[in-house]
Amino acid sequence: MALALALMYVDSRFAYLDRVRFTMAYLTTPVYWVADTPARVSAWIDDVFVSQRDLLEENTELRQQLLFAQRELQLLAGLASENSRLRELQEASQAVQGRVMTAEIINVSNDPGSRRVLINRGAHNGVFEGQALLDAHGLMGQVEEVLPFTSWVLLITDSRHGTPVQVNRNGERAIARGGRADAPGLELEFVPDTADIVVGDLLVSSGLGQRFPKDYPVARVTSVVHDPGQPFALIRARPLAQMDRTRHVMLVLPDNEAIMGAPVIFDSGSSGSDSLTAPADVSEDVAPAAELPAPEILQGDAP
Amino acid sequence: MTPRSNGMWVVVLSFLVAYLLAIVPFPEWAMHYRPQWVMLVLIYWIMALPYRIGIGSAWMAGIFTDILEGSMLGIHALTFAVLAYITLSVHQRLRLFSSLQQSGIVLALVGLVMTGTYWIKVMTAQTAPGGMLFLLGALSSAFVWPWLFMFLRQLRRGFDIR
Repeated sequence: MALALALMYVDSRFAYLDRVRFTMAYLTTPVYWVADTPARVSAWIDDVFVSQRDLLEENTELRQQLLFAQRELQLLAGLASENSRLRELQEASQAVQGRVMTAEIINVSNDPGSRRVLINRGAHNGVFEGQALLDAHGLMGQVEEVLPFTSWVLLITDSRHGTPVQVNRNGERAIARGGRADAPGLELEFVPDTADIVVGDLLVSSGLGQRFPKDYPVARVTSVVHDPGQPFALIRARPLAQMDRTRHVMLVLPDNEAIMGAPVIFDSGSSGSDSLTAPADVSEDVAPAAELPAPEILQGDAP
Repeated sequence: MTPRSNGMWVVVLSFLVAYLLAIVPFPEWAMHYRPQWVMLVLIYWIMALPYRIGIGSAWMAGIFTDILEGSMLGIHALTFAVLAYITLSVHQRLRLFSSLQQSGIVLALVGLVMTGTYWIKVMTAQTAPGGMLFLLGALSSAFVWPWLFMFLRQLRRGFDIR
């Protein structure tokens, strides 16, 4: 009993046990590997037992998609170069476009109160704490705990997680916090009633807070309620990432220079390393106070 | 009585299977209904072999659960130790109960342990305080108990574990 209490105390207050946890994870990894076997076997069966006709159909479909994607990529290349020229004019730092590392979700947390997933990449693959996780549609979360061959990722829909976002249409900034309701969703916190946010707006990551890369799609606004009795507007959004359906995800690899796009005024010079050494403040209450001031400070020269 | 130390691998294997069942992905709506397999297996072995499986083993099982789930080290160790203590103190009576009565006791025990775990997690801000829906897990645990009990008893008799 006393030992358990002591362990809990030490683990919550100090970082000594991280190493123990890390080592012990060598023991637990096989369990996850076995638990994941049914999914892998079914995927393998899907792969093996497909008719040639299906394959051909899928092939042509994929070819078409590739064509579309390439066309859009060409447009994008033009836009990107134009964008970088404009940025040079403004002397702003380059936004990330970054390289990514693919990963697979191999398990979800069985605690209904927290939304976390386990991915099959760990310290041996170069994963680090705070790394952003994406799927094909949008931002999913950030790495919370790194184990040897796996890592726990805190999803943006967890109620302890706050994501700095901005409205794609007009650059309005806010913090999107995981919904406290049962349905997975996001709530925008502390948005004044006068803010110009309407249903259907696309929210992208703002890059403030130096955790997430800038301009990745995060969510779409689903409801805006102006309640005269409330000091702030009640805004809900649905994440674009397919939180509970997708299996294939991507980890964003940092570039050597600034990870994030927006220049941060209050501490320039330590942009990349700062986000690595910063303690994982996600586990406590996300400290909106720490992240909120950023928009205020930048307000002056950002537009 | 000096029990022969036999069949330990069966016990360990049953725990491993329980861990597997505990982390196999469930659909979102069924999350709350997941039976607490590890606790059930623990209760059974404590009831059947109280002189071999006790608070110490429960503590180890709890630590393993903590690492598996990535929760704070010691939460499950603590609550499982409490579970083991209570089970140890009532195991004589528990053996004489009908399966329905046993299910009732299991419901209370698992519910107690889950509530304790939940409280500690909320206190240390590891999970969001929500409704009491998580107690449905205790209900489903009580529901699967009779079958698990019969299965594990067959296993124990088949391998003659004493």
